[in-house]
Amino acid sequence: MNSFLTFKKILDDLKRNDSSCQNKKLIGWTCTYLPLEILEAANLTPFRILPEPDTEKADSYLDPNFCPFIKASLEKALSGEYPSLSGIIILNTCDGMRRLFDAWRFYCKPSFSYFLDLPRVIRPSSVAFFKESLKDLIHQLDFYFGRKITEEDLQIAIERSNRSKALMKELFSLQGMGEPPLTHGDILEILSEGWKIDRFLFNQALEKFISLLGENKKTCSEAPKVMVTGSLLDGSALIRMIEELGGEVVASDLCIGQRILNLVNLDTDPLDLLSKAYLGKPPCARMQDTKRRIEGLKQRLMESRANGLIYFSLKFCDPFLYEAPAIEEAIKETGVPLLFIEGEYTGKPGGGIRTRIQAFLEVLRRDG
Amino acid sequence: MVDKGFRIKVLRKFVHLPYTYQFLLPILVFLHSKENPAYRIWVRFLLNTFREAYAHRKPVVWANSFLPSEIHYGLDVIPVLPEIISALVTYLGWSERPISKADTRISTDLCTFYRCALGLALENFLPRPDLLLSSSQLCDGANKFFSTMGQLYQCPHLLLDPPYSNHPRSHRYMEEQIEDLLKQASQILSLPFKKDRFSLVLNRSNQARQWIDKINQLRQSIPSPFPGSEGLSYLSGMNFYSVGSIWSIPFFSLLHQEIEKKVSSKKGYLPKEKYRLLWLHHVRPYYKNEIFNILSSKDAAVSFEEANYLYWPFHDSSQPWKSLAEKILSNVWAGPIERRMKAIDEMIRSYSIHGVIHFSHWGCRQSCGGAAIIGDYLKQKGIPYLTLPGDCADPNNYSPGQTRTRLEAFIEMME
Ligand code: SF4
Ligand code: SF4
Repeated sequence: MNSFLTFKKILDDLKRNDSSCQNKKLIGWTCTYLPLEILEAANLTPFRILPEPDTEKADSYLDPNFCPFIKASLEKALSGEYPSLSGIIILNTCDGMRRLFDAWRFYCKPSFSYFLDLPRVIRPSSVAFFKESLKDLIHQLDFYFGRKITEEDLQIAIERSNRSKALMKELFSLQGMGEPPLTHGDILEILSEGWKIDRFLFNQALEKFISLLGENKKTCSEAPKVMVTGSLLDGSALIRMIEELGGEVVASDLCIGQRILNLVNLDTDPLDLLSKAYLGKPPCARMQDTKRRIEGLKQRLMESRANGLIYFSLKFCDPFLYEAPAIEEAIKETGVPLLFIEGEYTGKPGGGIRTRIQAFLEVLRRDG
Repeated sequence: MVDKGFRIKVLRKFVHLPYTYQFLLPILVFLHSKENPAYRIWVRFLLNTFREAYAHRKPVVWANSFLPSEIHYGLDVIPVLPEIISALVTYLGWSERPISKADTRISTDLCTFYRCALGLALENFLPRPDLLLSSSQLCDGANKFFSTMGQLYQCPHLLLDPPYSNHPRSHRYMEEQIEDLLKQASQILSLPFKKDRFSLVLNRSNQARQWIDKINQLRQSIPSPFPGSEGLSYLSGMNFYSVGSIWSIPFFSLLHQEIEKKVSSKKGYLPKEKYRLLWLHHVRPYYKNEIFNILSSKDAAVSFEEANYLYWPFHDSSQPWKSLAEKILSNVWAGPIERRMKAIDEMIRSYSIHGVIHFSHWGCRQSCGGAAIIGDYLKQKGIPYLTLPGDCADPNNYSPGQTRTRLEAFIEMME
């Protein structure tokens, strides 16, 4: 049984024994810049919109040259395939998200919908603005769900979320442990289970799973080491493909992986801290500071000792597509080879991508 | 045969010489002597701006069209708008080469206006910027294109990042950003920071606004006095590029005079007008195409374009940052789609519109993403609606047969 299935079993057992966590209302969300702690403090369960790919229906509601992730998200909403959501929160990430918010409201008529502004820069005025926007979100949640979020609620939620992130970090550090060895693909799949359930339950499952792993030894691998960065991936399919082709994914800079491990300090005003921590997390391409993104990538490459970087951008994603050449140049200067892939949100990367990854891994193997 | 590389070199040299524009000015003015006088001001405005940009006696600032033009004239710099240059290059039939040049570097899924501009920059056809200013409002492409240019030219890039919401906190945040950006820009360009100059420019902008409003009111007349194809070229060009400059008041007032003459003689721009159309999206294809001829042949006038919809209130010139924030945050294309719909409703009513065309330009998510929603909304109201997919800058993506079929079917729908 692979590690993910072991984890799944632990989680399912816990779920069976604890129904209290499962009766909370679900709120759909789309972007990791949303401080989930706020929803949790409101006694709601955040449910990440990370759909299986399928865009037949959404094609007639959004333009053909549109982010495939956005189309897949809308598709599922239109076919009523999400569990019953008590509302959605979408962030001002990109043109795609703005139009998704419009289409969702127009065609699916959710009972609660909120669009959260998100600055592209980090400076005192933008941190203050983001904080004010978060305050407004809290106000709307209080009003709509009829439960006042207190400072204490927020602090408890931050502590729990910090615990989650610390456990996730630990999990990443245990990559290679266990029998069969825990892979990056397993970890991303484990993390994706956390997008749908209560944090408390997820933390318990992670703790149990980690304690099992801790008893094993780390395996050393000779495989070429790869880091993956880019826009939204449809789960772990691409990572799994790299692993299947004999590469070892040693790190990822993705919104479904290591871009979300930002801890929130807990010494002063929680909203202030949330605002700072989220704006300051490892940036994705929609943020303004490309230099910071490059520096972050270089550092992660060094720390993970990756021999190559795979840059994945969804088709029609302006922020990631525009930034690709600059990242490519900067990374190549460091001598680390980069493979750029522009792809669909397909669930299964096509044959062309497979061949290119195969060739890339060959180069990494050859160059040692 | 002269080799192509050599021709490009000569052309580049020619483009970079300020005298070129001085030399072209009387020729072009003469060639357009039969056109309306406002059009000649547009020609003068462009040639003058390019001459100044290449002469580089004043700081050259590149900016995107969604950044209020009052900012350039308040700073007293020479503004270069890459999207407008791409549209002009397309109009002259030269866009294919820069677009294919850019395609060696970035994805073909991106907007061709920016791909064309990137190609021109890579081939060193554009005036060198001293500073890049962009607004992230509406267009993700703009923001990242300017970042790319910052790397290419090793030039500072300042960003204005307008929020989505029109809440008082957004206004406060915008005001702070504007003041901050202008102070930084003045410092980078070693220009004195003069708040008074902004007040002067906003007064000019108010005067231009008055004329724009009057023009828009005249265009409500039946038959339509002014062609939408021109509304989407030099008129919208001046709306995005010139407001706040010394050129804007003569341009808009002269255009008003011209249109007024047409209205008082009850003359439409078409010999016969059966249908009145509204054009959505702020652009149209700028290469040679048949779209407007097909419509004209069916007696369908493009009576108005959302590109020229006047959404911003008069400025309070004593509070320039507050006023500019107001202009930015009242943009009907930004924020929830209901805002754009409300404006479309108003245009349909004021311009007695029979049908609506949404031109969906390849690579433009902000506008095309709303096309289906707007279509469904209008269909519910019984208003014929057509989404016309295409590309405004790349003639290779124009398919004449398909375009004709769609337009004819649309006109039939109105019959
Ligand atoms: S992948 Fe790109 S276009 Fe899609 S939601 Fe993310 S930033 Fe937006
Ligand atoms: S057409 Fe759309 S994508 Fe292109 S520059 Fe204009 S707003 Fe941006």
